[in-house]
Amino acid sequence: MTRSDARNGGRDDPAPVESGRLGMRLLVLALSMLFAASLLAYVLIRSRAAVWPPAGMPRLPGTLWISTLVMLASSVTMQAAVRAARAGRERALRTGMLLTTLLGVLFLVSQTLNWFALVAAHLTAKANLYGFTFYTLTGLHAAHVVGGLIPLAVVTVRAFRGRYSAEFHPGVEYCAIYWHFLDVVWLVMFAVLMLSS
Amino acid sequence: MTGIESGAAGFGQGGNALGRDNYLNHERGIKSWLLTRDHKRIGVMYLVVILSSFFLGGIFAELIRTKLLTPGNSALMKADTYNQMFTLHGAIMIFLFVIPGIPASLGNFVLPLMLGAKDVAFPRLNLASFYLWVGGALLALGSMVTGAVDTGWTFYTPYSTTTNTNVIMMVAGIFVLGFSSIFTGLNFVVTIHKLRPAGMTWFRMPLFLWGIYGTAIIQIMATPVLGITLLLLIAERALGIGIFDPALGGDPVLFQHFFWFYSHPAVYIMILPAMGVISELVSVFSRKHIFGYSFIAMSSIAIAVLSFLVWGHHMFVAGQSTLSSMIFSFLTFMVAIPSAVKVFNWLATMYKGSIWLATPMLYVLSFLFLFGIGGLTGLFLGALAVDVHLHDTYFVVAHFHYVMFGGTVIAFLGGLHYWWPKMFGRMYSEFWGRIGALLVFVGFNTTFFTQFVMGSHGAPRRSYHYQPQFEAYHRLSTIGAYILGVGFVVIAVYLIHSLLRGRPAPANPWGGATLEWQTSSPPPHDNFESTPAVGDPYDVEAWTWDGAVGGFVRRAPAGQPAGS
Repeated sequence: MTRSDARNGGRDDPAPVESGRLGMRLLVLALSMLFAASLLAYVLIRSRAAVWPPAGMPRLPGTLWISTLVMLASSVTMQAAVRAARAGRERALRTGMLLTTLLGVLFLVSQTLNWFALVAAHLTAKANLYGFTFYTLTGLHAAHVVGGLIPLAVVTVRAFRGRYSAEFHPGVEYCAIYWHFLDVVWLVMFAVLMLSS
Repeated sequence: MTGIESGAAGFGQGGNALGRDNYLNHERGIKSWLLTRDHKRIGVMYLVVILSSFFLGGIFAELIRTKLLTPGNSALMKADTYNQMFTLHGAIMIFLFVIPGIPASLGNFVLPLMLGAKDVAFPRLNLASFYLWVGGALLALGSMVTGAVDTGWTFYTPYSTTTNTNVIMMVAGIFVLGFSSIFTGLNFVVTIHKLRPAGMTWFRMPLFLWGIYGTAIIQIMATPVLGITLLLLIAERALGIGIFDPALGGDPVLFQHFFWFYSHPAVYIMILPAMGVISELVSVFSRKHIFGYSFIAMSSIAIAVLSFLVWGHHMFVAGQSTLSSMIFSFLTFMVAIPSAVKVFNWLATMYKGSIWLATPMLYVLSFLFLFGIGGLTGLFLGALAVDVHLHDTYFVVAHFHYVMFGGTVIAFLGGLHYWWPKMFGRMYSEFWGRIGALLVFVGFNTTFFTQFVMGSHGAPRRSYHYQPQFEAYHRLSTIGAYILGVGFVVIAVYLIHSLLRGRPAPANPWGGATLEWQTSSPPPHDNFESTPAVGDPYDVEAWTWDGAVGGFVRRAPAGQPAGS
């Protein structure tokens, strides 16, 4: 896209992909600050506590590793989808988008099971700061995964309807930026949670 | 007219467009406004809601000052009501007026015009930001009916988690307002990156855009931190978790760190666009090229960067370590450098210029004087030993009013008067404009200079009762607030009058060289009939007054025929 395209489009036309990508990156920058601040708050709260997890409280479940693997896999399929889109391989694009969406759902299922397991072990958000911080951090991330699944589903449907070409596939590009970001956030969050407890 | 080109006829897109198709009459009906994607209409809608908020916040201020005429109990309001009043005054003025004021209203209107562009990068997102703003504002104001907050606008814990007023609703409103702020900032950054016309390099951009750009970066990076802080505050109130409340094992200073990590940069969200406005006006009304362009531009960025490193100076007496206080104090002094760079460049721009004391220029001169005082008293407060004495006194109140009112609001008024003819195609009464500017200046100084004196004598801020020894100061301050109120009524009256009866404005009433003056007043729906030629944005000397047009027209460059 050239600059003149960006300047001359109508107000209801989709923004040129270069503008859209910059916009997505800025959104990711804003969300990075949100997660960085949340993790910093967690580390400060954690550093004040003598025992973590508090006595009688369960350790974080090992099944968090499953969530991590699912998240990593979804990032791989997302990257496969965006490469396929750029090369104009429509079939690979559909497969990649569908797999990414399904893995995203699977991640949420896995996280929900983790929460259920902890609640069953009497760790609730109201129980103590250990519980509160865990549910807040993972909940904040899960909320952003939900927010990512909606556009992911829309783009997948559009891919199946053959709306994208090698030249025009802005939705896939935007999804890729956002989804990889969620992956990185989860990896950092997972590492901080595991190392601190 | 050889060598001179008529602004009305020469470009084919100048002159007054009130009788022709323009953005105000392009589509009709309330729906065409509420669903518009036109940045100009969105800017005007922001202007309406922001000025309404300013009016509401101003009413609270006048009520507070009226109570403070006497030191003891007052029939006007009880102590609890007083606490709610000053909280609402602060919260409304900060979150609904000063933070969005210049970027969302003037910025929205002017930014694409200055770029010679048709609109911002994401017009629909722009409208969505507006409605997020409205939703957030309604939530925040809804707390007035359901239990007006009495914590002060800073919502310090543990009081904010234990008071029985509706903190959750107010804070949720501000959370939503934050989204509006982030999306507006994002939109502006992409617009400046992607929609600059051919020939407008970064260092040929109008300085207002540098100010908006620095602001937008802070909005994008600092606002999310406020978001998570407010969420934690809501969680502590709703769940009774001890994050901040020491009674529950929390740390109240943690709240202050997080709060000020946003709210100090927010101070620069307020002042950077104001400095941008001043940079435009000072050159135009001195009829002289801006002095030190790149220093002014870079100092905006320096201020934006430094703004993230000084939050701790709000907490010198809150129990942070002496070492961190010393570091924060040092960094605070550093902010004075880029700020002073700007002031000296503005003064150098005026030097040997032919200064035109039109209403916008009166606001520029007010700004230089008031921001000078506001900035220098900031150094007093940034010095550790002095701050211990002055902390929580009226000195602090006076200081931040000098910066926020004397800086941002005055620049906002200057910008409003400068771009008013462009926005609505009509001139206001210059005589009453000057009277209004004078009343605001006198009223403001009477109100707040008094508070410097009172504060340095130790008068504590926020309190309903005060020592009788301060009564004379308080009375003088209240008289100043009334003068200020009269000034704003005068301004409101002549501006509304100008909308109905004002003289039709020319395309370029002030002789500005930025692109917004090269389209009609008011501009057409798509801003420009043809892409304007990009030149030096401060080549104001190339524009001369033409009595036949009733506005400024461009002299043709030497050796070239007019209009080429």
